[in-house]
Amino acid sequence: MTRTKADQSRQNVVYVPSRNRTTFRKTLLACAILSTGLLAAVVLTSLVGSERLPAGASLCALLSFGRAQCALTTDQFDILFQIRLPRILLAAAVGGSLATAGASYQALLRNPLAEPYLLGISNGAAVGTMVALVFFGANEWSRPLLAFVGALLATLAVYRLARGRAGATPERLVLAGVIVTTFLSSVIVFVTTLMDATRIRSFTFWLLGDLSGTSKNLLPVAIVIAVAGAIVLAANARSLNLLMLGERDAFDLGVEVGRVRIIVFLVASLLVGSSVAASGSVGYVGLVVPHLARLSLGSDNRITIPAAAFGGALFVIVADTVARTVIAPRELPVGAITALIGAPLFIYLLKRT
Amino acid sequence: MLEAHDLTIRYGQRTAVANVSLTLRPGEISAIIGPNGAGKSTFLQSLNGQIKPASGSVLLDGRSLEKFNRRTIGRRIAVVAQEAELRFPITVLEFVLGGRFAWAANASWGWETAHDIEVADEVLRDTELAYLSGRLMNELSGGERQRAVLARALATEAAVLLLDEPTANLDLSHQSTLLALVRKRCEQSHVAALVVTHDINLAAQFADNVLLMKDGKTISIGKPQEVLTPNLLRIVFDVTVLVDAHPITGVPRITPVHDAHRLSQ
Amino acid sequence: MTLCSLLNTRAKVFRPPGFRSSCPADAPNFLCRRMGGQRDSLLSLHLTLKRNRPLGLFGTLVLILGFHLGCAHNKSQTETSKQIREITDDAGRRVVVPLRIDRVISLAPNLTEIVYAVGAGNRLVGDTSYCDFPEAAKTVERVGDTLHPSLERIIALRPQLVLVSTASQLEVFTHQLEHQDIAVFVTDPHDLEGVFRSINQLGAILGQDDQAKQLIEQLRTRAAAVEAAVMHTQPIRVFYQLSAEPLYTAGHDAFVTDLIRRAGAISVTADVPGAWPKYSAESALAARPEAIVLPTGGSMGDGNSTVAESLQRSPAVVQGKVYKINDDHLVRPGPRAVDGLEEMARALHPDVFKR
Repeated sequence: MTRTKADQSRQNVVYVPSRNRTTFRKTLLACAILSTGLLAAVVLTSLVGSERLPAGASLCALLSFGRAQCALTTDQFDILFQIRLPRILLAAAVGGSLATAGASYQALLRNPLAEPYLLGISNGAAVGTMVALVFFGANEWSRPLLAFVGALLATLAVYRLARGRAGATPERLVLAGVIVTTFLSSVIVFVTTLMDATRIRSFTFWLLGDLSGTSKNLLPVAIVIAVAGAIVLAANARSLNLLMLGERDAFDLGVEVGRVRIIVFLVASLLVGSSVAASGSVGYVGLVVPHLARLSLGSDNRITIPAAAFGGALFVIVADTVARTVIAPRELPVGAITALIGAPLFIYLLKRT
Repeated sequence: MLEAHDLTIRYGQRTAVANVSLTLRPGEISAIIGPNGAGKSTFLQSLNGQIKPASGSVLLDGRSLEKFNRRTIGRRIAVVAQEAELRFPITVLEFVLGGRFAWAANASWGWETAHDIEVADEVLRDTELAYLSGRLMNELSGGERQRAVLARALATEAAVLLLDEPTANLDLSHQSTLLALVRKRCEQSHVAALVVTHDINLAAQFADNVLLMKDGKTISIGKPQEVLTPNLLRIVFDVTVLVDAHPITGVPRITPVHDAHRLSQ
Repeated sequence: MTLCSLLNTRAKVFRPPGFRSSCPADAPNFLCRRMGGQRDSLLSLHLTLKRNRPLGLFGTLVLILGFHLGCAHNKSQTETSKQIREITDDAGRRVVVPLRIDRVISLAPNLTEIVYAVGAGNRLVGDTSYCDFPEAAKTVERVGDTLHPSLERIIALRPQLVLVSTASQLEVFTHQLEHQDIAVFVTDPHDLEGVFRSINQLGAILGQDDQAKQLIEQLRTRAAAVEAAVMHTQPIRVFYQLSAEPLYTAGHDAFVTDLIRRAGAISVTADVPGAWPKYSAESALAARPEAIVLPTGGSMGDGNSTVAESLQRSPAVVQGKVYKINDDHLVRPGPRAVDGLEEMARALHPDVFKR
């Protein structure tokens, strides 16, 4: 046995070149494909909705970026550019944010089950937004801001609860997450039941998500945060790769563990906060999409995080299209669809690994 | 060169390490021997900044460790600890390439260069893992994983190697090849190595310098022949040993004399 | 032939000679006090059994128990057969209520309004926290809100009848009340006719038939007047906005859809299944409503007082035809619904109502 190995190493022949290494080229290719897919999805889903629009004319108008009305009536034009497109873009921003945040939490916490919804971070953001609606109702900017604060506090709570003597083991983390998320869900139901629904929305909004209320001011904010957040997290991808192997290992290899942890927590909370403030909690995105990305592209975060961003955007766009067309002209909450798709998908993924 | 001067490390009320000093010189292998709870691993962890000492100082190339940033330390000091957590699938090559992180031009995004791949391939060959480079880490045996951890440490091209029980999971053949590899690295590249181990004979064979610790204190420090004496070993381990010269290699050979009726005394 | 009648016959047959209707000295006291009308037969049976030693006291007790369980119901029925009425409610349930009701509880604001409107307000012993009309309703003891009333409090008030609206989803609840021998009457009007029917039924139950019929007459006249006035107008396409964000409207099964129709308008969402569907913004925009009705100002306070963003460019908003109407008049299927009808009709067809 030893002789054979020594032979091999001496001959340098039977050395198997790595198949799975993630290279810059591979990442670029994946991103190119996914972004094209995303663009196509945006265009195609804008053609679909509870009102029928002429496909050709709509495409023409879309490709002209709204400058030409083509053959659309004013109403149709408004439907396309004032209602549908903003909603689709919001879906992309929310999906991308949540998936990226999920991928980062999973890497940082070394736990494949870490997800904004399951960890209670989405609910923390929801409570923050509710506080903003109650006390600062008129000020739109208070919502993503307080949602961010809520998400951050929930993150701290989960992290503290999970930290035992041996550090945050995955079991403790999941447990802490379940405690925080169920507690906050109850708070949400409690407050929404007591308070006037017109002021703070019903709890189905908070717990199941709803993309129909696109504010003109907050949409650009959501998009900017989604893109910027994804970039910052992707920039820390290599550090996250090492952190996935253990904090001690990462430290020894030169990763500034404390700094990376703070950055990830802050940015991920911001991403979750802006998403929840705009659309309530959309669950499963942060869980299923990163797993799909890892399954098809490997665990290297340098490819997984951007892939999750694009994939999450795609996932929620598709889910929302279903939510707004399947019982048209009525609508379903998008979180119900992501759960209906996400849960079986997740079971399938679990069986594959 | 890494020097530890008069290090004291406390965990709350408990003193884990008390006034221990050690110098790691390039080209030398030092070993720390002692019973469980002697503070060996704690001491090792303070040498790269993982644990902060309550008093005393660690000097890397003459400057205090605190003055360096993490990446620089990562380039100069490498640690071989117990197995990493492997919850996500990662190939051996990717794992070993992790050691090149500290050398990445771009602090965060950095992609591996051709040179990085060369270095990784070379260490994989040295540790006899080349044929496994495309395999997933959790498909490897315990011994193979340990070698991969060593490979990663070697890939950092660090001037100081700190090894915490590196031979714990290895079979006999790989125990000696691993330490022989460390020895070769030390001689060829002027690397200083520190090995924390339970295996006294292995330390006797490979170490130039041995530190005997008990209850956080230095019992003795010096060449193996000077330190590995029956008296000192009895003080440290509370066991009677027989020390003679190994018939082939000439290094001290320590044979414990286990008294089957010891407990009845 | 039921066991009870069989036992009754036997008892009479075994009646010993010299038996008197009053309690004989050797009969246990509890028998005399408890069974009332059946006392004679039971007593005679007891005496018969007692005098036939082999059966003994144990047999007597067993038979008494059987009597009690089997015959108590018959007793109350025959005694008060003239004092109840049976009526079918909107849920298709046959409800048995006492003829004279002095204590009634209402679990919905519209039902409270109807109770007062038919003149039985003084017999209302409990209502919900949302019952705010008429003023007197606010002084009645609260038993909770429409969705989660307190069962304990209801029972503590010892009502004979509890009025429920199916909008309250009180399925489980009604079973528990019936178990306590409290009659539960469910109303579920989908349109104005249904409201008149409810008024009629409640008037009959509460013994206020005349007042109820009078009220219905008045309301009918007013409604007919409205419908006559708008008969020759072009129906206006109306969007009923229940809430702006998220966008909710009135569907096919909503009560207010009927009112809109009678007010000389057509709800653009009249065919949407369900009562209060969450509506697509696109479809709202594409519907191009000529007028928008905003229920607000009543129980909603100042909520829902602005039109949803997606409708900002609709003909209704552009021409300023956005009408705020007291939500209590549109949402409660009660007497004030006709107020709502009139208000809507006046807003939508102002020229027809100029006096």
